[in-house]
Amino acid sequence: MALDQIEPLKQAALAELTAAEDLKALEQAKVNYLGAHGKFTALLKSLGALPKEDRPAAGKLINQVKTELEAALSSRREELELKAAMPKEATDFTLPGRRRALGKLHPLTQVTEDIVRVFRKIGFVVADGPEIEDEWHCFDALNTPADHPARDTQDTFYVDAAGEETSRQLLRTHTSSVQIRVMERQPPPIRIIAPGRVYRRDNADATHNPTFQQIEGLYVGKGVTVGDLKGTVEFVFKQLLGDEVTIRFRPHYFSYTEPSFEIDFSSPLVRKMGKDWLEIAGCGMVHPQVFENVGYDPEVWTGWAFGFGIERVAMIRYGINDIRLFYENDVRFLEQF
Amino acid sequence: MKVTLNWLKQYVGFDWTPEELRERLTMLGLEVEGMQKLGGEFEGIVVAEVLTRDKHPNADKLSLCRVADGKGERQIVCGAQNFKPGDKVPLILPGASLPPKPGEKEPFTIKVGKIRGVESHGMLCSPKELGLSDDAQGLLILPPAAKVGQPFAEHLGRAAGDVVYDLEITPNRPDLNSVIGIAREISAVTGNPLRLPDVKLPDGGDRVEKWVAVRLEDPELCARYAARVVRGVRVGPSPDWLRQTLEKVGVRSISNVVDVTNYVMLEIGQPLHAFDYHLLGKGQSGTPTIVVRRAGEGEKFTTLDGQERALTTQNLLIADETKAIALAGVMGGQNTEINEKTVDVLIESAWFKPQNIRATSKRLELRTESSYRFERGADIRICDWASCRAAQLILETAGGELLAGVVDAFPVPPAPKEIQLRHRKTDELLGVAIPPAESVKHLRRLGLEMIKEAADACTVRVPTFRVDLKREADLIEEVARLYGVDKIPATSPRGAIGANVFDAVHDHIAEARRLLTGLGLSEAQGQTLVSSESAKLVTGDVLALENPLSADMNLLRPSLIPGLLDMLRHNLHRKNDDVALFELGRVFRKENGVREQRNVAFALTGRRQPGFWTGDDREATYDIFDLKGILEEFLEQFGVRGANYARRAEAVSPYIESAVIQLGGKLILGEIGQLSPLLAKRCDLRDRVLIAELNLDMLLARRKSEKSFKPLPAFPSIRRDVAMIVPESTPHESVLNTVKKLKPANLERVDLFDVFRGQNIPPGQKSMAYAFTYRNPERTLTDEEVNAAHEKVIEQFRKELQATIRD
Repeated sequence: MALDQIEPLKQAALAELTAAEDLKALEQAKVNYLGAHGKFTALLKSLGALPKEDRPAAGKLINQVKTELEAALSSRREELELKAAMPKEATDFTLPGRRRALGKLHPLTQVTEDIVRVFRKIGFVVADGPEIEDEWHCFDALNTPADHPARDTQDTFYVDAAGEETSRQLLRTHTSSVQIRVMERQPPPIRIIAPGRVYRRDNADATHNPTFQQIEGLYVGKGVTVGDLKGTVEFVFKQLLGDEVTIRFRPHYFSYTEPSFEIDFSSPLVRKMGKDWLEIAGCGMVHPQVFENVGYDPEVWTGWAFGFGIERVAMIRYGINDIRLFYENDVRFLEQF
Repeated sequence: MKVTLNWLKQYVGFDWTPEELRERLTMLGLEVEGMQKLGGEFEGIVVAEVLTRDKHPNADKLSLCRVADGKGERQIVCGAQNFKPGDKVPLILPGASLPPKPGEKEPFTIKVGKIRGVESHGMLCSPKELGLSDDAQGLLILPPAAKVGQPFAEHLGRAAGDVVYDLEITPNRPDLNSVIGIAREISAVTGNPLRLPDVKLPDGGDRVEKWVAVRLEDPELCARYAARVVRGVRVGPSPDWLRQTLEKVGVRSISNVVDVTNYVMLEIGQPLHAFDYHLLGKGQSGTPTIVVRRAGEGEKFTTLDGQERALTTQNLLIADETKAIALAGVMGGQNTEINEKTVDVLIESAWFKPQNIRATSKRLELRTESSYRFERGADIRICDWASCRAAQLILETAGGELLAGVVDAFPVPPAPKEIQLRHRKTDELLGVAIPPAESVKHLRRLGLEMIKEAADACTVRVPTFRVDLKREADLIEEVARLYGVDKIPATSPRGAIGANVFDAVHDHIAEARRLLTGLGLSEAQGQTLVSSESAKLVTGDVLALENPLSADMNLLRPSLIPGLLDMLRHNLHRKNDDVALFELGRVFRKENGVREQRNVAFALTGRRQPGFWTGDDREATYDIFDLKGILEEFLEQFGVRGANYARRAEAVSPYIESAVIQLGGKLILGEIGQLSPLLAKRCDLRDRVLIAELNLDMLLARRKSEKSFKPLPAFPSIRRDVAMIVPESTPHESVLNTVKKLKPANLERVDLFDVFRGQNIPPGQKSMAYAFTYRNPERTLTDEEVNAAHEKVIEQFRKELQATIRD
C-alpha cells in the first residue's frame, strides 16, 4: 500500500456517507468501508506490507481517519434517524390538548380558608362545636333568657330527640355556642375562631337559606379592650377585602356582648353598588354575665367576640347575587372559583 | 319605629341637616333603615328681613341688600324696587327650587352666583315667582309681624316639608320606641335640654273615684293600672296636625279620641286604651269597677278586629264586673270600643308583665303596637303622666270635661335600681382614657340621676324607662356610645397565642379537600335539611325537626348521598352531563339521643375525561373502578391503610350493587356502589351513577400522616408473570391472600395486569394475569432462586384456587 491512498479513500467514504439518503443506504456505506471486508479495513490489513520505519506514522494516520469516518457515520445516522422520526404531517399546535380535570374547592370553603389564614397570622386557632346544640350553649349561657325577645328574632329549629336528653335539642342559630363550649373546657387566655354551619327558620330566597355559615372569633385575656377589637377587625377585613376598605363601628345590641357593635364597611365596590356602607358583622366585649356563666372572673378577664356570615363575604367578594347558588352546586358555578 | 324630623324638634333643639341626623342616630345605635323626605310647599323659602339696601356698584337698576334669614345675615342682589330696609320678604336659599310653573320642564334652582360682579346668596321673591299670583311688579312684602327665619310655608299656614325616619330599635331599648325617647338621645349628644310637653290639667268637677274603681287580681301580671275619665267629648275627625303627624309615621287616623291614645303612645312609648265609659257594666255599687284578672280556661273574647279568641288562664284580661273588655296589653274589645256616639271616655294607662304579654301575643299570633311595647318592657313610672297627657289632648281635640283626679292602682312601686361605675373599668374595657367628668356628664344627660360621685367612681339611679341598664358594663356602653366609638383608637392585634385541639383537625379536613380536588372532583356543599322522601334512600333512624319550615326540609340529613343525588339531578337538568362531586359535611342520626358525625361522600356520572377529539375511549363513562380508584388513591394519600371492600350479597338502597368498606376487617368505614338504575331514572340521571360515602371522623382518627424515607433499591429485581384460568367466583383478594399465606422468598410485590373472559376461556371461568416482582435488598438474585420460589406460588394456585396455568 501507499500512504497516498489513504486520503482519496477517506474522501470517497465521506462522500458516500453524506450521500446516503436513508439508514439502509448508510449501513451499506458503512459495510463498504468499515465492514470486515470493507475497503478501509483492507487498507488497515495491508499495513504490515509497509517498511518497518513507515508503520507507526501510517498506523497513526489510518486510525485518525477511521475515527473521523466513524464520527461522520454517527452524525449522519442521527440526522437520518431524526428524519425518519419526523411525523408525516406537521402537528397542529392549535388543537386542544388532552385535559386533566382538577376539581375545585367550593367557594364557601375558599372564603373560609382565607379567613382562617388571616386569623392564624395573628395567633388564632380554629375551634369547633356541634351543630345540634342544647339551649344552654346556644342561649342561656349567652345571656339570652328563655323569655327574651331576642330568642324571637332568632327563629330556631328544634330537634325531635325525645329521649335521655335533659335540655331541648336545637340547631344552633349562631356559632357563638362554640365560645361557651371552649370557655367551659379551657381556662383563659383564649384566642379562637370557629367557622361552621348555623340554622335559622327563614324560607329560602335570594338572600336567605335555612342553613348558612358563620365564623366566630373570640379573644379573652387580661386588658383586652374595645380598641383591640377595632384594631383586629380592621386588620382582618383589610386583609380579606383589600386595603382600601374602611370600617366603622355602630352601637348595637347583642345579649352576650356589652358594649355591642355592628360593623359596616365601605369600599369602592360598595359605593359602586350605590351605598355608603354595607353591614358585615356583629361584635362586642364579652358580657360579664357570660364570663360568670362559664366560671371566668369578669374582674380579671375581659374579651371580645365577633361573628359574620361567610356567604355574605363570598357574595361581596365575587359579586354573587343569590345565596341559593351556593347550595345548588351547579358545576358551571363551582368551576368559576 | 318611625319618627319625623319635625316631631323630634318639638322636644329637643338641633340644627343638623336631615342627612346629619341620619348619621348621628345610626352612630348612636339607632340604625336608620329608611329615610323619606316629604316634600312640603315652599321648601327652602324662609321669611327674611331686609336690613340695608344700597345701590349695586355696577348696575343702576339693581340693589345690593343685606338681609337677616333667622340664622345670620346674607348678601342679596335684587332687581325689585318696591321695598325698603325693615320690610319682611320671602327669601329663597341657595339649593332650593322655585315652585314649578305650568309648562316648565325643570324647576328653577337657586345657586350662589355673581350678578354683575357681586355675589348673591339667594333671591328675594315676587308673588309670581312663588306661584301665588301673576303680580311680577315687585317683591311680596309680608306683614311686619312675620317671624324672621320661619319657613314660608309655615308663615302661610301650609304643610311644611318633613323627613320620616324608619329606625331599627334593638330589643333591649324599649324606651326608644317613642319620639321622646329618641329626642332624649339627641339631647344627650347635643347637650340641648329635653323639652317635655307641659301637661297642666284643669281642675275637674266631680271626683273620678265616684265614677270608677280598679281591682288588680294579679298584681304580678299587672303592677299598675291608672284610670281617668273625660266626660262629654265629641268624637269626630282629628285636627290636621294630629292626623298628619300620625299619617306621616304610617298610623291610620280613626277619630280624635283614638288618635290621641295612639299619638301619646308614639310620643312617650306608653300604650293606652280608651273605653266608652257607658258600655262598661256596673256592679252592685252602681259604678263600674275595672277588674284586671286572668281569663278563665276556654273563655271566649272578641277583640277589636272582630276575631273571637279562645283564652287560657295564662292570658290576662281587663274586665268589668260582668264581662271582659280588653285583652290586656294586646288589644281592646269590640264591646267597649270608642264609637261616634261615645260621650264619656275612660283612659287606661297600665303596666303589664313583659313575659306574659309576649306569651299571649305569640299564642294568639296577635302582634300590635301595644303588645310590642309591653313585651319589651314599658316604663311603669310613666303611666300617670301618659294618662294626663292623653286627657289633655282629648280635651283639646274632642272637648269635654275631665273628672278630677285619677284612680291609680299601683300597690308596690319598684325599688329604684342603683349601679356603680368605676372609671378605671371604663378605660380598661374601652382602651381609651375618658375623663371621669366626661363619663358623668354623658350619664347625666341620658337622664340618669347621679347619687354618689367620687374621684374613682360614681353611682347612678337608673330611671325606670331604661330597663336595659343592669350592671356596670351597661353604663360603660352608654359612655362609649356618647363618647363616640369612632374616637376609640384601634390597637394592632396583640396578645396570647391561641390553643385548641380542633385546630389540627381543621387542617386534616382541609388536606382531605385538597386531595380530592386534585383527583378531579369538585367540592359541593348541600342542604343539611332534607325531606323524608329523600332520607328514605338510606336506612337508619333519622332525626326530625319539631318545627320544620316545610315538608321538603323536615329532617336532618342522615347521609350526604341524597343531597348529592339532588345536585346531580340539578346539573343534569341544566345539561351538565359530566359531574364529579364530593361533599364533606355532617350527618345526623337518632341514636341514644342525637348523633352527629362528619362524612365525606362522592358521586360520579357522565364522561370520565374532559372532551377530546380523537381516541376510541373518549366517550367512556365513569364506572365503579373509577370511583374505587379515587377512594384508593385518596385513602393512601390521606394516610389510611387496610381498607377492604366486601360485596353485599343483596341489593341495598340506594344501590343496585354495593360493597361495605371496612378498616382492619372490623370497623365499617363506609360503602361504595352503583346507584340503582330505577332511582337514577327517577332523578333523571341517564348515565351510570357511582356513589360512595365514608365516615370522615373515622378517617381523621385513623389517619397516619407521618412519612418516613425508605432507601431506594440498590439491586435489580426479577419479574415473573403468571396467567391462569380460575372459576368466575374467585375474587382478586383470594389470589392475594393465597400468596400472602405462602410468603414466597424475596417477593416484593404482586400486580394484577389483565382480566379476560371469552375466546379460549371456558364459560364460568376467567383468566387472570399477575406480575410478580422479586428483589433482595442486599444482593442480586439468581434466576434459579426466583424460579424455585415462583414454582411454589404456581403450585399453590393450582391447589388452592383450582387454577389452570396458561403458558
